[in-house]
Amino acid sequence: MKSISLKLSAVCLLGLLLSVVACKKKATPTITNPSSVNFDRKGMLTNLANNLIIPSYQALNTTVITLDSSVTVFNTSQNITTLANLQAAFKNAYLAWQSCSAFEVGPADQLSLNVAVNTFPTDTHQISTNINSGSYNLAGLVNQPARGFPAIDYLLFGIGADANAILAEYTTDSKAAGRKQYLAALSADIKTNIQTVLSAWQSGYTNTFVNATGSDVGSSLGLLMNSLDYDLEILKNDELGIPLGKHSMGNILPNEVEAYYSGISVQLAVQQLKIIQNIYLGKSIQGSDGLGLDDYLVALNAQYNNGSLNDAIKAQFNTAITDLGNVPDPLSNTIITNATPANKAYVDIQKLVVLMKTDMPSATGILITFVDNDGD
Amino acid sequence: MAINDCRKTLQNKFLASFTTHRHIAPLANLRIVFGAIMLYSTIRFICKGWIADFYVQPKFHFTFYGFSWIHPFSEIGMYTLFFLMTISSLFIMLGFFYRIAIVTFLLSFTYVELIDKTFYLNHYYFISIFSFLMILVPAHRYFSLDVLRKPSLKITQVPAWVITIFKLQLLLVYFYAGLSKLTYDWLFEAMPLKIWLPANASLPLVGYFLDKIWVAYLFSWFGAVFDLSIGFLLLKKSTRKPAYFFVVLFHVFTGWFFKIGMFPYIMICVTTIFFSEDFHIKLIKNIRSIFSKTSSENNLQLNINPLKQKVIYALLIVYFVLQLLIPFRFLLYPGKLYWTEEGYRFSWRVMLMEKGGTAFFYVKDALTGKQSEVINSHFLTPMQEKMMATQPDMILQYAHYLKDEYEKKGVHNPIVTTECYVTLNGSGSRLFIDSTVDLAKENESFLPNKWVLSFQQKNNSK
Repeated sequence: MKSISLKLSAVCLLGLLLSVVACKKKATPTITNPSSVNFDRKGMLTNLANNLIIPSYQALNTTVITLDSSVTVFNTSQNITTLANLQAAFKNAYLAWQSCSAFEVGPADQLSLNVAVNTFPTDTHQISTNINSGSYNLAGLVNQPARGFPAIDYLLFGIGADANAILAEYTTDSKAAGRKQYLAALSADIKTNIQTVLSAWQSGYTNTFVNATGSDVGSSLGLLMNSLDYDLEILKNDELGIPLGKHSMGNILPNEVEAYYSGISVQLAVQQLKIIQNIYLGKSIQGSDGLGLDDYLVALNAQYNNGSLNDAIKAQFNTAITDLGNVPDPLSNTIITNATPANKAYVDIQKLVVLMKTDMPSATGILITFVDNDGD
Repeated sequence: MAINDCRKTLQNKFLASFTTHRHIAPLANLRIVFGAIMLYSTIRFICKGWIADFYVQPKFHFTFYGFSWIHPFSEIGMYTLFFLMTISSLFIMLGFFYRIAIVTFLLSFTYVELIDKTFYLNHYYFISIFSFLMILVPAHRYFSLDVLRKPSLKITQVPAWVITIFKLQLLLVYFYAGLSKLTYDWLFEAMPLKIWLPANASLPLVGYFLDKIWVAYLFSWFGAVFDLSIGFLLLKKSTRKPAYFFVVLFHVFTGWFFKIGMFPYIMICVTTIFFSEDFHIKLIKNIRSIFSKTSSENNLQLNINPLKQKVIYALLIVYFVLQLLIPFRFLLYPGKLYWTEEGYRFSWRVMLMEKGGTAFFYVKDALTGKQSEVINSHFLTPMQEKMMATQPDMILQYAHYLKDEYEKKGVHNPIVTTECYVTLNGSGSRLFIDSTVDLAKENESFLPNKWVLSFQQKNNSK
């Protein structure tokens, strides 16, 4: 009797197995699989930390020190030359910042560095209030949109029609002294923040970063992917979408672009996207190719609709960077006169967001939430 | 032995597993471990700050079809509810005012689960139905505070069904979980384990192996065979010990590799119901001896009045028939189950797919023709957004919510569309929902969602 029931259940099982397997069709064509995923995750993190992230912070640190000293020079003697030098130093520093905004992990995340140095559009009213009162705490919540690069952008490019008019605000204007003081406070604030983050990477965080090789939310890969996606969405929504009227029933808001007053919005955006690409490719600051997410996806044999996911992502980066580069600066003008190229770049970046936010985490099994799941 | 005799013996044996009287000890121990693990998991849930994250912060909740009347309470209300859940699981464990405790637990737990399907997990469903079964049985009438408080409650012999139903339920859970693994993706592509195991390659000791593709196949096949057979192996006396060893091994490993929360530990605890009554009697005796309370025991048989017994039998038959049928409802829907997810929940489908998605929503003013793209984070938490982007019923609910919100902002007859891309088991992302359909005009129902595109249709957006 025992054997009968056993046989019965065995036959049932086999039948079920066959019937279910038979009616499930093959989902994806088989592509020659490697027998093992051989990928040096620690090697990739080490490459990114030592050859891209830290050198980028170092470069940024140098430019914000120059910015700060240019402010000092300008505050002692205001003339066309010192102003021009200061404006140039500012543009350099802002560009260098765009090379670091995607690294919002570890120390930068703790400081909320993006919010601290690049909240835009800036609040000109709050800036005037601060200058008038002469006492302010830049770290306070109310001053979030009155600090960082966007505030300096306004103070160096937005308070007069031309260089002479701007100079007047620092010389003959009744608030000139307060304005100079505020400018100095702003550049010092940025300098301190960048210095803090750089020192953290140089004194221990690198070690933490390269050794957190897991795949959970707290792992370096999890943090980095979250940060890249966040940065890409800032680029898509805040730098392009909002000014293009994507979120305001088509009513354009050109004043809300990043770097509205200096008019270098597109330059900044291109730089930001290139760095995200470099993280993906594992490219060093000098441009040599090391271990990156691309190599990881190749090792995993990640697929994208019958092709390789890596090829799809690489192609999309190139398209997006080219199309974004074709948008003429100043962006605030372009949006009014001819929004077509900006809209095209927007669509490209949206496609890139899908690849980076959906395909890449899904292919790598990286968790991006803290919650229990049972895989559905 | 003739076939007929054989059938008769089987029948008798089957009936006996419901009607004969058995010792109550296994049931008393089940009550204790179930209460204990629920107590732990409720406290864990509270400590993780999930009450606020899941039920206080979100502005909008994805309720289950037919349960839109369920809403979270205020913040204080939610904390009170969880406090109630904590106390009731403690009381279940101690067998203290058991009936009130188990009903309170079932109601509070299920209420919370019904608030938002974002957080649906198979094991939450399991806890709800397990608690429901626990209501039907006299689990407090032995080795409990209720018996101490009111010695007349004490019984030692119960009709066997009060123990068998739990075994049957567990058998069903495992077997259906096993059936759901009999797919091409799982068996012959080793998906999604081929993605998930290498992601754990940095784990100590086992990491090296998790990178190997053959390990993904081994785990897939082992998992399927385990799930299909373990319930039967636990039932049979001769295989029970090694089977339980595998239960522990299997769940400890899956608990280590995957973020599946309490599920492995719950299963390790409640499968002890399969152990023999001698084991459970001895266990209780040993525990008692610690408190040096060795009293001899008289046989006290529980006799349920025949009418009540009949009602319970009828109820159980309906219950188990539903349990048997519900996981197969997916057969009524066209399309690939993992893609459409029509009939996916409540079917013991666990860890079967790596699915990810991104959804861009657009709201258009029907009068002016002007359109806005929605920033999802203004309306949803990251977890809600993530879960919504891959599940059609949630996409529809969100679309309706957006319609209402934009209408409030003065948009006329909002037309809500989505451009949603989803990748399933490494397929690569492709368009999930017909981006031309005004979802505001589609209604939720048990009928197939026609606006979900087929999985095979390739996204050629490049």
